[in-house]
Amino acid sequence: MISLFFLLVAEPCESRSPARSTKAQVPSCTRCHKDFVSVLPQKHPLVAGKDITACLSCHIPSSSTKAGPKPFSTTIHREHVKADVKVHCTACHTWSPGKSLGLPKQMVSFGKVSKDQMDLFRQIFSSWSGDRYLDALHANRNITCTGCHGNTLPDSGDTVENDRCLGCHGSVVDLVAKTTPKDHPARNPHKSHLGEIACAVCHHGHSVSQVYCLGCHTKFIMKIPGGEK
Amino acid sequence: MKKKEFEEALSNGRDTFQSAESTILCSRRDILRGGIGLGIIASTGGLAMNLASPGTAEAGARKLPTKWDETYDVVVVGSGFAGLAAAAEAAKTGAKVLILEKMPVYGGNSIISSGSYAAWTDKYKLREKLNLGEDSPERHIEDMIKAGDYYGDPKLAEVVVRGAPDALNWMIDEGGLKIRQVLSGGGGQTAFRVHISENSLGEPFCEALKKIGEKYGTKMRLGTKVTWIWRAEQEGPVLGVEVEKGKKKQNIAVKKGLVIASGGFGRDIKMRQAYNPSVVPEYNSTNQPGATGEMIRYAQAIGADAIQLNFIQLYPFGEAETGLLDPYQAYATRIGFGPIYVNKLGKRYVSELERRDVCARAQIKMGLKPTYVIMNYKQMVKVGGEKDLESGVAKGRFIKGDTIEELGSKLNIPVPALVETVNNYNRNMKEGKDPEFNKKINKDMLPLDEGPFFALTAWPAVHFCCGGLRIDASAKVIDIWDKPIPRLFACGEVAGGVMGSNRLNGNAYPMCTVFGRIAGTSAAKEKA
Repeated sequence: MISLFFLLVAEPCESRSPARSTKAQVPSCTRCHKDFVSVLPQKHPLVAGKDITACLSCHIPSSSTKAGPKPFSTTIHREHVKADVKVHCTACHTWSPGKSLGLPKQMVSFGKVSKDQMDLFRQIFSSWSGDRYLDALHANRNITCTGCHGNTLPDSGDTVENDRCLGCHGSVVDLVAKTTPKDHPARNPHKSHLGEIACAVCHHGHSVSQVYCLGCHTKFIMKIPGGEK
Repeated sequence: MKKKEFEEALSNGRDTFQSAESTILCSRRDILRGGIGLGIIASTGGLAMNLASPGTAEAGARKLPTKWDETYDVVVVGSGFAGLAAAAEAAKTGAKVLILEKMPVYGGNSIISSGSYAAWTDKYKLREKLNLGEDSPERHIEDMIKAGDYYGDPKLAEVVVRGAPDALNWMIDEGGLKIRQVLSGGGGQTAFRVHISENSLGEPFCEALKKIGEKYGTKMRLGTKVTWIWRAEQEGPVLGVEVEKGKKKQNIAVKKGLVIASGGFGRDIKMRQAYNPSVVPEYNSTNQPGATGEMIRYAQAIGADAIQLNFIQLYPFGEAETGLLDPYQAYATRIGFGPIYVNKLGKRYVSELERRDVCARAQIKMGLKPTYVIMNYKQMVKVGGEKDLESGVAKGRFIKGDTIEELGSKLNIPVPALVETVNNYNRNMKEGKDPEFNKKINKDMLPLDEGPFFALTAWPAVHFCCGGLRIDASAKVIDIWDKPIPRLFACGEVAGGVMGSNRLNGNAYPMCTVFGRIAGTSAAKEKA
């Protein structure tokens, strides 16, 4: 199992040619960034070097799922995986397909990542860094993968359990109160004749969210965050 | 059937089967023997028994899984009344039970149904308390069989009827189900025996059954679709199922029994028309979107018999756009006080007292969508409440006009035609006749002579599939050689032959729960 946390703690640089082994040369960030000063936060100390290894000397990756003393900001991932920024994961990460995902010159592996999984990561990171789906709405509030999925990667078809959503969004009772329509109070998607259902029935993290009610009650007018635009 | 009789029947069946096999199926048997001879154990490799699965590379010879991802004693496919009841009973015996539900929510058609449960008695003795006359198991059986035009199997009907009160009491006592202290009857139910949940919905019944199952450790997996049933050979048991969750396929081994409780095929337009050509695609369906019948095909592919699939119950008065059947739409069938059914041209098209299938076919034959049910205030308050009226109008379900003219123009119906229809109808009603459709006018019927008037859209919808997998009284699935398939059970709407050609209001609930309980108990009893 790959630890999700690690997918978010590496600082990227730039390269279009995948470097797939720790032995390969570390790609330089200068192809896009003239220097690090232009992209670093104001109070960040000066950085010498031109690639990710410069960052990793302070931001030490940890193999536990807890953030180290100086974790990377998740926004670093967001900026580099946006749909219009065509930076491959291997600009910063070392990756041997099916074997190991890591960081250059670091004795750390984030787990075995196959080519299919890598494609999926790219797709999901891209939507997370976008502005379309629920993942992006969460990203705007600095919620990363682990915020919904915990520390391990979900299997295909797995959904986030209600308790995790409600941990931030309040109790079902609160939700019901908040979403009771004024005109037709009985048409409350959070209190329906289907009983208590999974949040993920309607709220989809990485695809269009859809109000399940509308599958049968096609005439209802209901909106959902991250829904069809 | 007693054990000895059963064993005899089984061995007779086997003889028949073997003689047939020697001529027809020798090649497959040879293949199987060959496979075993090469050291492949049936349950861990080798060829699966199946018909050709279209579009797959292994058509006609799918390979059995070499390993199982998981193992359960009893796997139940579907999470409506039947599946939930089966799971609960199986789990109660200590079996490890998993329910597979392909939809993201549980409950199937059951949870969207109208909460009506027919049982000739109950723990409260409601009929006696409310002084509602006589009833008996024999009478309930007779009603059920008669409603199905004598196509239903009386032995199976008897199982349902005799088990109905106990299953109801079980949900009340163990599941915390609450029912109204009233009984209804009518239609083909010749006694007051229909029990109704507090909110007139199926959900409280589902919740009660789910609660019982969970108490005994039943697990449920949503969004998980069965894509094959594994069985190695003609006389062998079911071994497990192939499932799909997201993009992932898995194989789950079944040690004691696979219970198919997957409902009907009302939402599979091709399948329903294949078995009943008159059920054209123009019909809507009242069913939930998952009612697509593939489990019937998977069971047939491993030899299961399926019967009476042509008997598809139609409901003529679903909401015209969606097929929805809800408490508002139910007003369409409260015909005792004299509402009329009209088409888009403002004309009546059938006697409002006709059977549902007759009404539905009349609508389809006209081809003018939608049709309307026209009532007035006097009629509506006789069969419902002010509250329904108000909310129905607010939600746009009841279209209101103070005069027939206003109603007609709101419905976009030629006003003069509608006025003429209503006037004729009122005049004929006074004279106690209906020259156009021969409807029997009775003294309870009220004329449409004063407003406000209300209309509701109506279009026929496929409602219930009476046919399905052939079962015996212990819910075992019977194969095409007239022999039970070891470790395979079916219950609920997916099982055929219980209702015959038609189903009465309130009978689906006991059919599902009673046969669900039997299937669960039978499955758990099988040797692992």
